[in-house]
Amino acid sequence: MIALRNVTLRLGGRTIVEEITLEVGKAEFVCIVGPSGCGKTTLLRLIAGLIPPSAGRVDYQGRPVTGPRPEIAVVFQDYSKALLPWRDASGNIALALEALRVPKRERQPRIDRLLSLIGLSNDAHKFPVQLSGGMQQRLQIARCLAQDPVVLLMDEPFGALDALTRQVLQDEIQGIVTASGATVVFVTHDLEEAIYLGDRVICVRPHPGRIVEAIEVELPRPRNQLTTRESPAFLQLRRRLFDFIAESER
Amino acid sequence: MMALRATGWFLASLVVGAGLVVLWHYVVSAGFVSPVFLPPPGRAWTALVNGFTRGALAEQLLATIGRMIYGWLLASLVGVALGTLIGTSRAAIVYLGPTLEMIRPLPASAIIPVAIAFLGLTEQMAIAVIAFGALWPMLLATVHGFAAVEPQLYELSRALGLKRWEVILKIGLPSAMPDILAGMRVGLTIALILAIVAEMLASRPGLGHSVLLAARSFRSPDLYAGVILLGIVGYVSAAALAAFETRLLRWRVPH
Amino acid sequence: MSEAAPALRSGWRGAVIPVGAVVLAQLLALASPQQSDILAAPLDIFLAGAGGLFDGTIVAATGQTLIAALAGLAIGVGVGLIFGILLGLSGVLDRLMTFSIETVRPVPSAALIPVSLLVFGFGFRMEIAIVAFSTIWPVLILSRAAVAGIEHRLLEVSRVLGFGLVERVWKIIIPAALPRIFVAFRLATGIALIVAVTVEVTANPLGLGHGMMAAQQSLNPALMLALLVWLGLIGWALNAVLLWAQRTLFGPAAIAEARP
Repeated sequence: MIALRNVTLRLGGRTIVEEITLEVGKAEFVCIVGPSGCGKTTLLRLIAGLIPPSAGRVDYQGRPVTGPRPEIAVVFQDYSKALLPWRDASGNIALALEALRVPKRERQPRIDRLLSLIGLSNDAHKFPVQLSGGMQQRLQIARCLAQDPVVLLMDEPFGALDALTRQVLQDEIQGIVTASGATVVFVTHDLEEAIYLGDRVICVRPHPGRIVEAIEVELPRPRNQLTTRESPAFLQLRRRLFDFIAESER
Repeated sequence: MMALRATGWFLASLVVGAGLVVLWHYVVSAGFVSPVFLPPPGRAWTALVNGFTRGALAEQLLATIGRMIYGWLLASLVGVALGTLIGTSRAAIVYLGPTLEMIRPLPASAIIPVAIAFLGLTEQMAIAVIAFGALWPMLLATVHGFAAVEPQLYELSRALGLKRWEVILKIGLPSAMPDILAGMRVGLTIALILAIVAEMLASRPGLGHSVLLAARSFRSPDLYAGVILLGIVGYVSAAALAAFETRLLRWRVPH
Repeated sequence: MSEAAPALRSGWRGAVIPVGAVVLAQLLALASPQQSDILAAPLDIFLAGAGGLFDGTIVAATGQTLIAALAGLAIGVGVGLIFGILLGLSGVLDRLMTFSIETVRPVPSAALIPVSLLVFGFGFRMEIAIVAFSTIWPVLILSRAAVAGIEHRLLEVSRVLGFGLVERVWKIIIPAALPRIFVAFRLATGIALIVAVTVEVTANPLGLGHGMMAAQQSLNPALMLALLVWLGLIGWALNAVLLWAQRTLFGPAAIAEARP
C-alpha cells in the first residue's frame, strides 16, 4: 500500500530523515515511535504528500506520491487548529463530504452515522470551542473518516488528552479501523500505546532520523486495556522498546 | 544567507516596479490614455529635474516640509503633554473620555473653514490647521497608551514608594511609548495632507499650491512631477520616523 | 478597554464638560451683544442646524458626501480585498510587489486632488476616485495580514481534502480571515468619510465639506459650526454602527484588533 524507498529529507541545511525504507501493507496498523525530534511527524507528512522528499521515493499503491489527496486522511495532533471554528460539528464533517462531492441528499445520513460512531450525536450543533479536547479530537477523526480513507495517518492524536480519554479513544480507533479495513500509520511517543494498537512498531532514532528497528507485535486481537497490557508478551515487547529508547537517548 | 535572499527579492520587486513604469510608458505612447491626463514617465522625470535645476521646486519642497514638520512637532508636544496629563488622571479620563471619543472620527479637514474664519488665508492658518489636525491622533494614542499600562507595574511602583512624577516618567511613558509613536506616525501623515490642503486653499507657496496650479494650466508633466515628489516626502518622512521608532523600541518582543 | 467603555463607565459625568462648555458659551454670547463673523452662540448654531435639516439642504449635502464616500469605499475595499487576499496567499507575489506598493502607497491623498481634477473635473467621480485610492491601502495591508495569519493547519486540511483555489478561498480563507477583514473595513469607512470631506473642503463643490466652506465665505458662522457638529455626529454614528455590527457578528475577540 505504502512504500518508502531510501527517502531522505533535508531542510535548511539539516538532514531531518535519512535513508528511510519502509513498507506498509494493506490494512496493516503500523506505529512509529522514537524520542522527540526524531522526525516521526516528518515521516507522516512525507507519506501524506504534504512535503516532497529530497531524495528517494514515496509510493502509494505502486505510484509515486505527488501531493496530498483525500484517501490519505491525516489526523493532526493539534486538533483545535485542524477544525473550522465557524462551523458546528456537523458542518466540520460536512466539509470532507463537500470535498468528495458527495451528493447533498447523501450527506446528512453519513454525517449522522459518523456522529453516532464517535458518540457526538447530541452535540451535532455545537461549535469546536464548546467541545472538550477529547470530543474535538473525535470530531477530527470523524471528519477524516468521512473522507472514506484508504490510509489513515495519525500524528500523536491522543498526545494532548488525559489518560482516561486516551484509553477510550484507543479502543474506539481499534474498532473503527478493524471495521473499515483502513491502513494506519500511527505516530506516538507513548510506547505502550504503540504496542497496544499496532501490528508492527517502527523505532526511529534521531539526528538524523533513521529506522533502527521494526518489531512485530504478535498479540491477539481484539485487544483489551486490562488483559492485553498485563500479558507477558506485551511486557516483553514493552521491555524491548524501553531499552531501545534508553539506548537512543544516550 | 537570509540577507542575501532578502536583497534578491528586493531587487526582483524593483524589476517589477520598473516593469510597471515601462507599462506606464507604453500605455501613453500607444495612445490608450491621452498625454494630457497622463504624461509619459520620461517627461514627468524631465519636469522633476528641471523643476529643481531651473524652477522653484526646491523652495516649494522645503516650504511644504517645513510647515509639515513645524505643525507636527507642535502637535506632538501638546498632544503628548496633554495626553499624559489626561491619561494619568482617572478623573480626567472619566470626565473627558467620552468627549474625546466623540471627537475622534471627526475629519481634521472640517476644522479648516473654522480656521479660515479665525485667521484668514494666512500662513498662521496653515500651521494652526496642521497642528490641530495632527494633535488628535497623538493625544488619543497617548491617553490610550497610559490606560493600557500593565496594572501590575503600577502596583510595583506603589510597593517601591515611587513619587507620582517618577511613575509617569519611568513606568508610564516608556510603557505607553509604542502607542505614542504609532499616534505620531498617524499624525505625520495627517500633517502632510493638511499642509498640502492648506497650501492649496490659501495659495501659500509650496508643493501643494504648485501642483494645483499645474493642474489648472494643464501642465501634466509638472503636475505628476510634483505628485511624485510629494509621494517621496511621504515615504521618507514615514521611513525616518519608523527607523527612529525601531531604535527607541528595541526592547519590544517581535510579534 | 473597549472603545465604548469610557462612555459607559463615565455615565453622566462624561456629559458634564461638554454640556458645561455649551452652557458657558451660550451665557457668554448672551452677555456680549455684538454680532460676530467667526463665532456663534450655541443656540444659533442649533437653530441653523435644525433649519438646514428641515429645509433639506443639510440632508442633501450629507447624502452627497455619503454617496461619494461609500462609492469610493466600495471600490477601495473591493480592490484592496482582492489584492490583499492574493498577496496574503502568495508569498512570491507579495515579495515581488513590495517595492511597487511601498512607493505608491505613501502618496498623500490630497496630492491626488489636482490629478483627479484634471482627469474628471468637478463632481462625484473625482471625489470617488480619491476616496477609492485612499481606502485601498489600509484594506490591502490588513487583509493581507489577515490571510497570511490564517492557521496553517486549516490550509493543510484543505490541501488534503483536495480543495481547488476557489473552494479554498470561499470555504476556508474568507471565513477564517473575516473578523480582521471587518476591522479593516471599519477603519476604511472612517478614512473614506475623512477623505471625502477633505476633497470637498479643498476643491469639490458638493457635500458637507463644501457646505462648511460656503457658510464660512458667506459669513454664516452659525451654519458653519452647525455643519461641523453634524459632521462629527455622522462620523460617530457611522463608527458606532459598524462597531455594533462587529461585536454582534464576531464577538469581543475582534475588538482587541481595533486599536487606532
